[in-house]
Amino acid sequence: MTSTRILTRRRLGATGAQHVPARRRRRTRGFVQVAGSVAADRLHLNSYGHAYLWFGAALIGILFYLALAAQVTQSSYDITRLQDQQRQLVAEQDQLRYQEVTLHAPAQVQQQAAQSGMQRAAPTAYVPAQQVAIDLQAPAGAAGTDATPLWERYLAALFNKVGGTRDVMAAGRH
Amino acid sequence: MSAGALGKRAPRRVEHVIGARWRILALLTIAALLAGAVWARLAYWQVLRHVQLSAQAQSQYHELIELPAVRGAIFDRNMTQLVVNTTVYSAFVSPDQVAARDRERVATGLSSVLGVDKAAMMQKLESGSKFAYVLRRFPKAKADQLRALKLPGVGLEDETQRSYLPGIAAGSSLAANMLGFVTYDGQGQRGLEQYYQKELAGTPGYISSYRDLANREIILGTHTHQDPINGSNLVLSVDANVQYQAEQALADGVKKANAESGSVLIMDPATGGIIAWADYPSYDANNFNHTDPSLFADNVSSYLYEPGSVMKVVTLSGAMNQGAITPDTVINDPGVLSVGGYRIYDWDHRNHGNINYTYVLAHSLNVGAMKAMLAEGHAACYSYLKGFGLTQPSGIDVAGETSVPLPPQDQMSDSQYATTSFGQGIGVNMIQMLAAVNVVANGGKYAPPHVVERVGTTINPLLLKPQRQVITGATAQQMTAMMENVVQHGSGWTSRVKGFELDQAGKTGTSQIPVNGQYTLDVWASFVGFLPAKHPKFTMIVVMRKPHYPGSNSDWTLNDGYLTAAPVWQKIAQAMVVDWRITPD
Repeated sequence: MTSTRILTRRRLGATGAQHVPARRRRRTRGFVQVAGSVAADRLHLNSYGHAYLWFGAALIGILFYLALAAQVTQSSYDITRLQDQQRQLVAEQDQLRYQEVTLHAPAQVQQQAAQSGMQRAAPTAYVPAQQVAIDLQAPAGAAGTDATPLWERYLAALFNKVGGTRDVMAAGRH
Repeated sequence: MSAGALGKRAPRRVEHVIGARWRILALLTIAALLAGAVWARLAYWQVLRHVQLSAQAQSQYHELIELPAVRGAIFDRNMTQLVVNTTVYSAFVSPDQVAARDRERVATGLSSVLGVDKAAMMQKLESGSKFAYVLRRFPKAKADQLRALKLPGVGLEDETQRSYLPGIAAGSSLAANMLGFVTYDGQGQRGLEQYYQKELAGTPGYISSYRDLANREIILGTHTHQDPINGSNLVLSVDANVQYQAEQALADGVKKANAESGSVLIMDPATGGIIAWADYPSYDANNFNHTDPSLFADNVSSYLYEPGSVMKVVTLSGAMNQGAITPDTVINDPGVLSVGGYRIYDWDHRNHGNINYTYVLAHSLNVGAMKAMLAEGHAACYSYLKGFGLTQPSGIDVAGETSVPLPPQDQMSDSQYATTSFGQGIGVNMIQMLAAVNVVANGGKYAPPHVVERVGTTINPLLLKPQRQVITGATAQQMTAMMENVVQHGSGWTSRVKGFELDQAGKTGTSQIPVNGQYTLDVWASFVGFLPAKHPKFTMIVVMRKPHYPGSNSDWTLNDGYLTAAPVWQKIAQAMVVDWRITPD
């Protein structure tokens, strides 16, 4: 539900907007224009004076640009120099890391230990639970009883040597 | 007359008008043609050649600089860094920018700091060319010296280089064959560097900007910047200290046995992680560009050999697991067996009488191995070869693995099965053989061999997969006891580690090398074992290629595994026992 008061307000609002006169935009003059005309009036500049004034302004602009460009160039040089420095520092860091890693390398440790007269100790502290019941100096197992006739063995060896047999050599030994 | 004159004038004027029109038309046509030609040319440049020309123009003011990614480092299991990125420098000269009066000074400076030939340098400077390298890839110290001299026309260029830890001698770096190396253009070659190239290299970034005529960057220009993604670090299962011990013992062993080459591979029995991977002779990965390329070959993964009697571990394990034999099963071994029309002998050509399988393994008897194979049958034998991983590549994460697949089961002859049972006529690489024997050490489970434990923060997925059960735990225990017996009473006696005489398992292997289908007197000698036997901390294989042990000219059995490979195994195991503080059970 819409109250009559609201309807009235809406109507007034709508009609009010229609009847508002269009604003006329005031022409404003820029600061430079105003300052220029004031300066021209006070200085009584002729056309040459105007030309000099514009030339001077352009010169100042150019000088400002050159100063800015010089500053940018200087910054650019500084950035390049710092980047170069950073690269060198990174290289130095890499070098140091390699030196550090090399110091811990087994080869280096062994070399330094040898120079200090250190020797690798053999483990002698182990105490087995029971005595070793085998002869540690014993050679590989003894051969079993061989009942093959001697002539057969010699013949086999001979044939194997000259390659006249189809036998595969018993190469899979120990 | 006048009428006649008039009558004559009229057609002339008409002709004149018509002629003028023709001329105008002709001129218009010519103008149109000329304009058409200009327009056509314009259309050619602006429409047809638009893409190419705009690309050319862009290339003059648009710059794309690559931001290189830092290559990932490689660490061992104790986080010891094995590979470091270092910066090296290359010096160049622009001879056209060196004044004649400065040439002498520049040449002297370069030769004194970089050691280049002064006369050659002078010749280069006098050539007046625009660019020439003086020396490539020298260390920072020299670059600093050169920079201090401020030589005109001389510049330095920095590059990244991989630096590897020193090895056992001046001409080698640690684990060179396993790690591989990186070329100057950043490409990993061989080993881990090649296999993990993508992960290690990362993704380079870039920065794009516009530049003015003086090649200055336009600050307000549109920049596109993409940061590089650095390569991932690798953490290996390798132990640098054990690696060093292995390389040292191997080098001594190869020299002592006067062998052509040798290799050592050590594995963590529970995980399959490689603890050491050594080759001798090896090379210096820091100096790869001056290395004989034949040394780059990695004999651990790419050299195929016939494992010999080490294979009996696989054969007997399979037969026992199948229930065809037990360690105490008694067989008769007359020293020779006829299989598939071939007479195959024991290594000693002797009749051994009635023996059990423990004795067969301890004394490495071929007839016993063949009888075990026959007892279990061809099909079971083949399936166990497959189960132990000997029919396919191990799939290790190091570039360059070579393997020869076995022929299909039904295409293998009786004699092939027979020779395979004692390790001849079958080609394997060391990784396959070690992983197979490791099944026994790992309670009957196959642990997939691998070198990398972590890539960045990601664990190798192999470690998370369940291991396949090849033989039962009980069979593995029985085989372990048999292998202990090899060390205590058999051919493995030269591998005995002090304090572990009753607690280590092993097996020797010697096989003759075939040349053109004939076996020669040259051998591959090997020893494989693990320690402590009941709860192994490592499994290790040592292979010697073509050893010529002192005195072997008269007695070629001196080249056998027990004299050439087992002592190397013993030396490394002894060092590991100390380093890892391993105690007997």
